[in-house]
Amino acid sequence: MNCMNNPAVRRYLWRFLVTMLLYVAFLVLAVVIFVHYHPTGPLAWLLAFLPALSIIAQIAAFGMYLAEEKDEFMRNLQIQALLWGIGATLSVTVTWGFLENFVHLRHMDLIWIYPIYCVLSGLALGIQQMRYK
Amino acid sequence: MKNRLKVLRAERNWSQADLAERLEVSRQSVNAVETGKYDPSLPLAFKLARLFETTIEAIFSDES
Repeated sequence: MNCMNNPAVRRYLWRFLVTMLLYVAFLVLAVVIFVHYHPTGPLAWLLAFLPALSIIAQIAAFGMYLAEEKDEFMRNLQIQALLWGIGATLSVTVTWGFLENFVHLRHMDLIWIYPIYCVLSGLALGIQQMRYK
Repeated sequence: MKNRLKVLRAERNWSQADLAERLEVSRQSVNAVETGKYDPSLPLAFKLARLFETTIEAIFSDES
């Protein structure tokens, strides 16, 4: 079965696309409103939360893919990549944190944790795919 | 785990892609099982046995 013929993969890609579009839309909306109107109180909290909500939806979409994937080997590969990604992200961020505290390395915003995880788990998946090619 | 998938496929003149299609999995999955890099779950092993009209023991053996 080709990966694009896999209904679970197709549904995941569709959900991923929707959450990415929502992320871009919410981020642009938040930036524009914060720059021009300087909101405070509940509105500021809501606007700040919206881009995060789309990332949470993206994580949930991946969870749904894992639940729907019928090819157990492919599911296993994805779970291994997920675990490598989480482990590598924790290692990078905790190391960065100590370096930041003790040798004054440049501050890293928490919002970078998710993109770092995406890159590292993507790399892990690529390595796994090559291993089983 | 050793297996006779390659022989069983050859007897039917099936490629890995043919077997993958019949099992509704990816070709990569068939390759991983066939080369012993991945041990299938019981449901997948039963599916293979049904497809080749034999028993699980006739396909897989636990010799290293």
